[in-house]
Amino acid sequence: MNNLKSNRRQLLKGAGAAMVGITLMPYKSMAAEEKKLNVYNWDTYIGETTLADFSSATGIEAKMDLFGSNDELFAKLKAGNPGYDVIVPSSNYIERMVKANMLMPIDHAKVPNIANLDKEFQDADFDPGRKYSLAYMWGTFGIGYRKSKAKATPDSWHLLLDDPTYAGRISIQGTAEFGFGIALKTLGYNWNSTDATELGKAKDLLIASKKNIKIFAKDNGQDLLASGDVDVCAEYSGDIVQVIKADTSNDLGYVIPKEGSNRWQDTVAIAAGAPHPENAHAFLNFILDGQNNANIVKTIGYATPNAAGRALMDDEYKNNHNIFPSAEQLALCDPGKYLGEDATKYRDELWTAIQAA
Amino acid sequence: MDNWKDFRKVFFTLMTPGTFWMLFFFVVPMGFLFVLSFSSKAIVNGETSILDYNYFSTITNYVDAAGSSYLVLLGRAVLWSAIATVVSLLLAYPLAFAVCFSSPKWRPILLLLLILPFWINLLIRTYALIQVMRTNGFLNQALGFFHLPQTDILFGTSAVIMGLVYVYLPFMVLPLYSTIEKLDKSYLEASLDLGASQPRTFWSVTLPLTMPGVITGIILVFIPCLGSFLTSDLLGGPNNWMIGNAIQNQFGEANNWPFGAALSFILMYATFFVLFVRAMLTRRSKGVDA
Amino acid sequence: MAARLKPGQGPLDYGSRLWLKILFALVLLFLYAPIASLIAFSFNVDKTGVWHGFTFQNYIKAWHNDAIFSALSNSLAIAFCSTIFSTVLGAMTALALWRFKFPFKTPFEGFLALPIVVPEICMGVALALFYSKTGMMTAVRDWIWPLNLINIIIAHIAFSFPFVAVVVRSRLVGFNRQLEEASKDLGATEWQTFTNVIVPFLMPSLVAGGLLAFTLSLDDFVITFFSSGPNSVTFPVKIYSMVKTTITPQINAASTVLIVITLLATFIAMKIQAPANPEKP
Repeated sequence: MNNLKSNRRQLLKGAGAAMVGITLMPYKSMAAEEKKLNVYNWDTYIGETTLADFSSATGIEAKMDLFGSNDELFAKLKAGNPGYDVIVPSSNYIERMVKANMLMPIDHAKVPNIANLDKEFQDADFDPGRKYSLAYMWGTFGIGYRKSKAKATPDSWHLLLDDPTYAGRISIQGTAEFGFGIALKTLGYNWNSTDATELGKAKDLLIASKKNIKIFAKDNGQDLLASGDVDVCAEYSGDIVQVIKADTSNDLGYVIPKEGSNRWQDTVAIAAGAPHPENAHAFLNFILDGQNNANIVKTIGYATPNAAGRALMDDEYKNNHNIFPSAEQLALCDPGKYLGEDATKYRDELWTAIQAA
Repeated sequence: MDNWKDFRKVFFTLMTPGTFWMLFFFVVPMGFLFVLSFSSKAIVNGETSILDYNYFSTITNYVDAAGSSYLVLLGRAVLWSAIATVVSLLLAYPLAFAVCFSSPKWRPILLLLLILPFWINLLIRTYALIQVMRTNGFLNQALGFFHLPQTDILFGTSAVIMGLVYVYLPFMVLPLYSTIEKLDKSYLEASLDLGASQPRTFWSVTLPLTMPGVITGIILVFIPCLGSFLTSDLLGGPNNWMIGNAIQNQFGEANNWPFGAALSFILMYATFFVLFVRAMLTRRSKGVDA
Repeated sequence: MAARLKPGQGPLDYGSRLWLKILFALVLLFLYAPIASLIAFSFNVDKTGVWHGFTFQNYIKAWHNDAIFSALSNSLAIAFCSTIFSTVLGAMTALALWRFKFPFKTPFEGFLALPIVVPEICMGVALALFYSKTGMMTAVRDWIWPLNLINIIIAHIAFSFPFVAVVVRSRLVGFNRQLEEASKDLGATEWQTFTNVIVPFLMPSLVAGGLLAFTLSLDDFVITFFSSGPNSVTFPVKIYSMVKTTITPQINAASTVLIVITLLATFIAMKIQAPANPEKP
C-alpha cells in the first residue's frame, strides 16, 4: 500500500499536474477483509502520532478526515455514510443521531479500556448505558480575552451582549445553539430553554447586541483572539487553552462567566454502515488506553475523562483551572441537550430573523 | 440558421451528450429536491422525525419562505450582487480591452495575469483576503508604516463586496475578452475616421458590438453572487447574512431540508426572473442572441 | 478577419494608454497582494498570522502529510477529467444551439442555464441525495483511484459544461457563416468544415472555456463536499475544515505548490495552443 502511495507521489513529482488524471494507478486493494479504518474527526483533535501508533500496533491503516462542526458531520451522514468508521460527535448530537439511526451500537466487550474512564462518564443522560458513544474529551464554554485590552477580567456575558466596553472587539459563535445559549444565560435562563417568551427576550437581546459584535464566528474565535482581531471571544475552553499555551507574551486568558455557561462532552462513536466495525472497536479501545490517551492530551490540551490518561499527565495540566474548573463553576454550566426537531426549527426561525434584522 | 430536420445526424450528435448529462445528473437530482420542497417531516410515534418525510404533502415551506426575514435576506443578496457585478464590469471592461489591444506577444501573458489568481481555490483566496484586511493584517501594517490611520474593514459589508468582486472577476473578464478579441477593429477605425470622438465611438460602436460579452459577463457574475454564502460567511460581520447563508443553514444546523429546498427554489425563481429581464432587454436592443 | 494594427500605431492603440496601465497595475495589486501574503506566510514559522521567521518546514510537513497530499492529487485529477469532458460537451451543445432551429429551443436554453443558476448548495444536496438513493455513493468508494472520484467528476462536468457552452456561444455569435458555406462550396465535408474552419475559429473560446471549467472544478467546494467520502476529499474540502477551525501554514505551502503547478500547466497549454491560433499567419 505504501508503495503504491509513493508511486503516486513520484507520478506527481515527475509528470506534473496535467498527467495525473490519465494514469490509472491502482490505488486500493480489493481484499475482502481490509486492514483499514476511516476516522472522521475535528481538526487539531487527536495526538500527533496517534494514527501512526495505532497502525504500528495493529497493522490497520488508519486515515482521518476532518469536519468543522457537528452540523457538517450530521449533514454528511444524513446523505448516506460514504465510508466513515469512527466519528467524533458532541454529546448533544448523540440523541439526535441515535434517533436518525446514524450510529452503530458499541460492543463494550471489545473495548475493555472503557474501565479507564471516570465513573461519571460511564453513563450519560443523552446515551443511557453508553450504548452508542464513549466519552472522548470534555470542557466548558466561556470567554477568551486579551489581558492587555481588558480593564478587569471580563467575567460576564453582559460585556459581550449589552455593554459598550468592548464594542466592535467581540466575537461570539454564530450558530443558533450558541447564540441563544449565551443570550439565555445572560438573562438568567437555562442554556437549553425552549420557552417562547425567554427565547423572544434572548432574540431581542441578540439583535441589540449586533451593533457591538464584530463577528458571529465559526469555531475560530481563538484564532481571531490570537491574531488581535477581537479582544474578547466566546469559545470552547480547549481552544482557548491551546492559544494560551502558544502565546509567548502570556497576554491571553479564559474565564467562565459568572452567569454560568455550557458544559459539553465530545464522544467517539461508530457510524452506522461503517465498512470496518471491528477495526473501529479496536481503535476506540486504543485511544482509551492510558498512555495513548495521555499522548493525545499532550497535543490537544483538552480535559480528558480518562483517569488512566490523566494520571500520566503533569501537574501543570491537572491543576489548570481553565481546563478543569471548580465544582461551583461547573454547577452553573448546563450540558447542551438535543431539543427535538420542532424546538430546533423554532429557534432557527428566530435566528434567521436576528440575521435579517 | 439550419432546420434540425435537414441535418438530423449532426443535430443529434451535437445535442445528445449534453442533454443526457443534464437529464441524469442534474434534472433527476433536482427532481428529488423539488419533491422534498413540498414535503414535511413525518410524525413518528407522536414525535417529529429527523429522517422521514411525508412527500408531496404540503406547501407550508413556500408559505414560510415568504416571511419577512427571508425577503430581507433575498433583497440583501440582490443588492450586493448588483453592486459587485457593476464594480466587476467597470474593472473588467477596460482590462479586457487593454489586453485585447496589447501587442500579440503580451496578450496571453496579460490575460494569464488576470486569470491566474482565480485558479487558486476560493477558500484560500478568501482566507488570503482575511490576512490582508484583518486588524493586524498587511493593509494596516502598510498604513501604519506611512503613519496613516488604521482601517477596520474586515467582517463588514464592504469586505463582503470586495470579496465577491475578488472571487468572481474572472467570470467577467473571460467572456469580455472573448468578445472584444473578435471585435472587428475596422469598425472602430471607420468610426474614428469619420470624425467620431473616442467616447462617441465607444458608446455607439464598441459597446453595442461587445454587448453579448457584457451581458454574458453580468449573468456569469451576478448569478453566482446571488447564491453565494461562503464569502459572506467568512468575510461578513453580524449584518451580512445573504439568502445563501439561510439556505446553507437549513441544510446544516437547522436540519430542515424541505424548507432549505423551498428556499433554494425561490432563489432559483428569482434568478429566472433576472434571466427573463435579460432576454427582454437583448430582444429589444439587438437580437444578438437570435 | 480584421487587419491588425501594429503596436504604437494610432488612436486604436488602447494598450498603451497611461490610465489603462495604472488601472491594470492597481487591479493586479488587488489580485496579487493577498496571494503574495499567502505565499509569504507559507514560509512563516508561526501559525497565528504574525511573522516570526523564515522556514521551509511547512513544505516538508505538507509533503509528508498524507491528507493534504491526497487532497491535492484528488483535486488535480478531478479538475483534469472534468475540464476535458466539459469543454467537449459545452462546445457541442453551443454549436447545436447556434446552428439549429428546433422546437422548444428557448426552453432548452433556459434548461441549460440551470446549473449556472441553481445555488451550489442546492445542487450539492440534490446530487448527494441522488448518489445515496441510487447507491452510487457507496458503490464507488472502493474503486481504484481515480475512478473512486467518479461521482465528483460527474458533478463537476454537470455544472461546468454549461459555462463552457455560454463562452463558446458568445464567440459563435460573431462567426461569419459564409466561411462555412465557402468551405462546403469548395467541396469540404461537414466534418472537414468543422475541423478546418469552425474549430480554429472557436479555439480562443475553447481555451477560455476550458480554463473556466478548470477553475470551476478546482474552486468548487460546496457540491464536492456533499459527494465526497473518506478517500475522495478534495483540496477545498480539506481547507474548509481547516479554515473553520485552525488553519496551519502547511495549507499555505500546499496552495503555493498548487499555484506553481497550475502556472506550469497553463504555460504548457498555451504553448500547445499557440500554433493552432488562426490569427497567426
